[in-house]
Amino acid sequence: MAKISFHHSDGNVDVLDVDPGTSLMRAAVTNGVDGIVGECGGQAMCATCHVYVRPEYLDGLPAISDDEEEMLDCTTEDRNERSRLGCQIKAGDDFDTIEVDLPASQI
Amino acid sequence: MTAEAIEARPVPTADWVTIEDLYRNPFPIYRKMREEAPVHWVPAVNRYMVTSYEACHVVENDQEIFSANETNSLMKRAMGHSMLRKDDPEHDVDRKSYGSVLRPKAIKEHWNAIFQQNSDKYLGQLKAAGPGADLIWEYAAPYAAENLRLIMGFHNATQEDMQRWSQTMINGTGNYADDPEVWAASEKSYNEVDDAIDEILPYLRKNPDSSLLSGMTSMPIPLEAIRANMKMTIGGGLNEPRDVLGVAVWALLSNPEQLAKVLADTSLFPAVFEESVRWVAPIGMYPRETTRDTVLEGVQLPKGARLGVVVGAANRDPKVFEDPETFNIFRAKKPHLAFGGGNHYCAGAWVAKASVSGIALPQLFAELPNLRLDPGRPAVDAGWVFRGMTSLPVLWDNKK
Ligand code: HEM
Ligand code: FES
Repeated sequence: MAKISFHHSDGNVDVLDVDPGTSLMRAAVTNGVDGIVGECGGQAMCATCHVYVRPEYLDGLPAISDDEEEMLDCTTEDRNERSRLGCQIKAGDDFDTIEVDLPASQI
Repeated sequence: MTAEAIEARPVPTADWVTIEDLYRNPFPIYRKMREEAPVHWVPAVNRYMVTSYEACHVVENDQEIFSANETNSLMKRAMGHSMLRKDDPEHDVDRKSYGSVLRPKAIKEHWNAIFQQNSDKYLGQLKAAGPGADLIWEYAAPYAAENLRLIMGFHNATQEDMQRWSQTMINGTGNYADDPEVWAASEKSYNEVDDAIDEILPYLRKNPDSSLLSGMTSMPIPLEAIRANMKMTIGGGLNEPRDVLGVAVWALLSNPEQLAKVLADTSLFPAVFEESVRWVAPIGMYPRETTRDTVLEGVQLPKGARLGVVVGAANRDPKVFEDPETFNIFRAKKPHLAFGGGNHYCAGAWVAKASVSGIALPQLFAELPNLRLDPGRPAVDAGWVFRGMTSLPVLWDNKK
């Protein structure tokens, strides 16, 4: 099991334990975590799974692919150096524990 | 699951629903159905119609229980077995063959300039036809068709071919009455598209460009799949931008206060686009099939149930959208389902947004002063599986 903490823009926190192989986006959508939409089901096509990864967890993550790079320029709330797509990072493969801040809006 | 199954209620039947009523105006029917249950068996449609937002959302995100690979699919007969009727991992192979052709970077680098040329051309045609012309048939349809022709790489066809292919094959996918004339027209287009692909692939291999077909020449993808995916994209990438364009213009012209705000602040056009596809989803319903007995939002469904995922109804679910029947570009932002969701999420969503709200809408309102509906010839909206304006006569002031 891996652990994800979603910090909402209003200060609330949702903590999930998820199976390895589950993307951060999928974990949020199947557990009804508000603040992540994931319209395209994880194809790096919609930019509605944008998260800001807390700095201490950034290093372990895989490099940003071209598709992700392109989508990060299409997010509703501005991209910064902590921005990632939740559908492109997976429990187990990419992190055991992670904390992310959610943007106020995805659309 | 067991507890759920015990509590699950049998699916209600909506025998009062008729195709004629749906075609004219499906929204009062959807409201009545949604208020009663998230899913109904509808004899006239021969499907279980899923009308609540939550139920549609669940179906879209679970391809193991709700398969896109429908048995006896008319779409497979009319267009071949495209990605739209496959589940992963097979679907994913086809989808990846589209590469980055329809993505924002390619749109910025290649397609926006082409969309602009096409909009100039057909706006010229509309102006030449003069006030009273039909905005759908003089502008929106040829604009959408010409854009799609070039995105796909059919340099050996015309936009009129694209429109004919699209409509005749779509008629095939909806030919539940098994009308032989509809099949004949659909099969003729099927063969014409195959011939056009066979002819253009060698050309594109020598003269590569940014189009879908050009990209296909270097992809490890069988010709059968290319053919089916191209036909599906002709069917799914032309009428929808045309229809959202028509509905957006009609809605703005019918709501002068909102129009005034948009004209004063053109950065509102993307909101106009999103609200238009929410309010009238161009693809109102698409099919799925259950792979096992299941319970959907408390309603029992048997294995092999043929579903219609009615996103046109989900987009007006009052549980998600306040005052859902009203067109309001300032409503609280909520994700609508007009582009579907999950693995089949529309591959052309960025193209539709760029061509319609990036180029067409701003240009129409900028270049046709005092654009307005023609009081003598009312606009007509129609359809339910696909819905849009079948006629939109407009007036404007000719520049002196
Ligand atoms: C406002 C315009 C549009 C709307 C509302 C729309 C809607 C949709 C919907 C609802 C689906 C999913 C259907 C299903 O899951 O069964 C879909 C899929 C698709 N659309 Fe669009 N579409 C639009 C424009 C376009 C354009 C312009 C193109 C091509 C340039 C396009 C290409 C596709 C393709 C290839 C798929 C299949 C994706 C897959 O199976 O993975 N669409 N569209
Ligand atoms: S879910 Fe669409 S980009 Fe991540």
